[in-house]
Amino acid sequence: MAQETSRWKQYKPYIQSMKAPFKAIWADPLGRPGSILFLVILFVAIFAPVLATHDPHEMNERVEGTAASFIEGQWERMRVIGDKPLNATAVVSPGESFAVGREGTILHYDGTAWVEQESPVDTSLLGLDFFSPDFGFAVGEKGVILSYDGTSWEKVESPVEINLNGVALPAEDKGLAVGDDGTILAWDGASWTILDSPATRNLKAISMIGPDFGVIVGDRGTIIHYEDGEFVDPSYRTFMDGTFRRLNAVAISEEGYGFATGERGEILGYDGEDWYNMTSPESRELTGVGLVSPDEAYIVGIRGIVLQYDGESWTRLSLGYHRSFRGLDISEGYGFGVGTDPYINELARPSRDHLFGTTHLGRDIWSQVMYGSRTALMVGIITALIVNIIGVVIGLTSGYFRGRVDNILMRIVDIMYGLPLEPFAIILVLIFRPSLWIIILAIGLLTWRTNARIIRSQVLSLVERPFIKAARVAGASDLRIILVHIAPNVLPLAFLQLAVAIGYAITAEATLSFLGLGPPRLYSWGTILHAARLSGAWRTAWWWIIPPGVFISFTVVSVFLISRSLEVLTNPRLRGGNTRAPGSKKS
Amino acid sequence: MGKKEFIIRRLLQMIITFLIILTGLFFVFRLTLPDPTAALVMEGLSAEAQAMVRARFGLDRPLWQQYFIYLGNFFQGEFGMSFHYRSAIAPIVWEKLLNTLVLMFPAIIISYSIGPLLGVILSWRRGTRVEFGGIVGGLFLRSAPVFWTGMIFIMLFGIWLGVFPTSGMRTLPYEAVGFWDKILTLDFLWHLILPAFTIAIYYVGLPMLIMRNTMLEVMGEDFIELCQAKGLSERAIMYKHAARNALLPVVTQAAITVGLAVGGQVVVEVVFSWPGLGREIIQSVRTSDFPMAQACFMLMAGMVMVMNFFADLLYGYLDPRVVYQKGGK
Repeated sequence: MAQETSRWKQYKPYIQSMKAPFKAIWADPLGRPGSILFLVILFVAIFAPVLATHDPHEMNERVEGTAASFIEGQWERMRVIGDKPLNATAVVSPGESFAVGREGTILHYDGTAWVEQESPVDTSLLGLDFFSPDFGFAVGEKGVILSYDGTSWEKVESPVEINLNGVALPAEDKGLAVGDDGTILAWDGASWTILDSPATRNLKAISMIGPDFGVIVGDRGTIIHYEDGEFVDPSYRTFMDGTFRRLNAVAISEEGYGFATGERGEILGYDGEDWYNMTSPESRELTGVGLVSPDEAYIVGIRGIVLQYDGESWTRLSLGYHRSFRGLDISEGYGFGVGTDPYINELARPSRDHLFGTTHLGRDIWSQVMYGSRTALMVGIITALIVNIIGVVIGLTSGYFRGRVDNILMRIVDIMYGLPLEPFAIILVLIFRPSLWIIILAIGLLTWRTNARIIRSQVLSLVERPFIKAARVAGASDLRIILVHIAPNVLPLAFLQLAVAIGYAITAEATLSFLGLGPPRLYSWGTILHAARLSGAWRTAWWWIIPPGVFISFTVVSVFLISRSLEVLTNPRLRGGNTRAPGSKKS
Repeated sequence: MGKKEFIIRRLLQMIITFLIILTGLFFVFRLTLPDPTAALVMEGLSAEAQAMVRARFGLDRPLWQQYFIYLGNFFQGEFGMSFHYRSAIAPIVWEKLLNTLVLMFPAIIISYSIGPLLGVILSWRRGTRVEFGGIVGGLFLRSAPVFWTGMIFIMLFGIWLGVFPTSGMRTLPYEAVGFWDKILTLDFLWHLILPAFTIAIYYVGLPMLIMRNTMLEVMGEDFIELCQAKGLSERAIMYKHAARNALLPVVTQAAITVGLAVGGQVVVEVVFSWPGLGREIIQSVRTSDFPMAQACFMLMAGMVMVMNFFADLLYGYLDPRVVYQKGGK
């Protein structure tokens, strides 16, 4: 027990001198905002994954709803018509069209402009068809069915909760809708009911000519014919002509022909009796079919693909589209291809989605800056601790033992003073490979010199003080004198040096990373600026270079403010207020 | 110990330090990069041709011989052959050093003439908003990374306003015979302004804050009280008596800054594509041109040491109270 209390006594001076710096920081008008600022940045660093809105490596894409119009054999420029990707389109009459898309988006084209209509749902709509300008249906995810009465859309009761992908409405009292897991629904003029389905795979699209004949296509090459109320398997011209690729779209014509298309450039033709394989000029995903005449048809696909049929074969049109099509409908030589516009959202200005905008690779700068705070603080604190521990140990040893030990240690410090920091780190990187440890090592090796010198001079003056002499006379060992009597007295100074070292380390890390000497896959404020400089885009992309620099400045300022308030603690002469008179002067 | 003895001791110490760094660097390079010709030898070169390349750069001799040859050459101003330029290093680095100095000196002169004045004002206005704002402002100037302010300046003045050129020392193409012909032009001055101010703004905070601190210490001295008792005006006390005595640490800091500036502002040269020593060392690392990296580094280290030495001398010269002590006792 007695042992315990004596040990407690040993620690007491430490605890007391540990408390003093914090009190001093908090009491100082500059130290308080500084420490609050530092805590905020520490908070940011700890919660970086939560605060980051995106994966900092992810190349963010942007999607918009786009449409390209087809009039009298001519494709026109693709335009952005909404901010949501569009999945399907249907021509009501030449000059009037609808398009539906993600989050319940419904757009109406009246011959001059696309106008968004009010939608009763916010689930994605995947298919639509019209019987007349006054009657049509749209279907979508989770079994949603909407009906149109010529002016507005209303939700209709649906018997299923499965995604519905396509709908066809050849008569006022006859319609079919198809969906995932082989779902087929029928419209009898009053309500939708589930039909017994011959399929279990996802069905993607349906095309009907009249109330009695239709074709349904779906996953793994599914083609189902609907003939007079019955589902039958289609006939193929040869055994090999079936496909196992997913079919996305189908269109058949009263004139006895049709096409189905799907993934990997798959195109199937229909001659009124059999289905057969066609040679495709494309190997990417195709998503829509539109028919004009037996000698003219179009297929659209991702990345702006448009294929043209001339009665014999398909050829690729180069129309300069880049954006993905998801649906196409052509009626009486008039129609639209609609789709999405996924492109890398490069060098986007700050917006709600990307608070600090994006880089030239579409990466979210806000998230990079958030993660960068971790690197900065980690390097700053680890390096400062290393520097401080080395500095304090060498300073204590040197100052206490003096003589030869001191001489050797101080000559080492002198050599260290001859090394300029950045070039030294550059040389280290030349020898080793760029990594965070090189940066920590370089800063650590070159900044302890100041700490050691400052601590040493403090120790030199402490050793001459009476209480140390008293301890020595009382027979205390060197170690005891150092640890119990001297160390607690240099702690405030060590604390000050710690704060200063954190500031230097953060600046140095940013500088070295800016020079491209940091690890390549790790984000730090310096590497963000390095990337900005490398890309060349920084000259105009202010949102890319301002945030990291501001964060560096504020972090370093916060530790400088803290260090200044500690300076007051270690140098009482700086204390005091408005008096220029030397009233408080004493040594 | 007298002044002369101190200077000799300090000088000797400096030379030894320099030698230690030089030796350390030489062996670290040779031992960590066992075959420096790897960067040099092109693929498919025959063994004979490789040996010739090695012989040309003197790499076929034993290590200790290489070391003494290097040492001997170094002190004659011969730094060896650059792998990248395939020519002697010395003329290249001396030119780069001049380019660096011609950028750094105006910057340091600007910051060290404005900084102390601001510092005096801050100490004068002790406890007011001016002081508060000055300290925070000064700390911000020191905290904002210099490459970042450089980038912001380029964006502001170079791109948006289009008033200053953003890179290099001269508008290309230009013809100049020799160094002075190159820099004694308006075009050069035009290119100098942006990078020099970037560095000056970064450096101005330190002398300002040092000046304020020492001013506050000096204001506590007895002779200020005497001046006040004599009825001297506030202004006279501040500028004539206090500031003069407080200038000391600022002057020594200026000398140290000059030393560090040679190697310390690599980033500014990179940002402004200034063909100086700092940019050269970065490039030499990228091209694995280690003789060049070594030469640049030693020049920078030498500069730091010489200026530290001058700082010590200046300190003793300016402050007669300084007693030259034997280190450590």
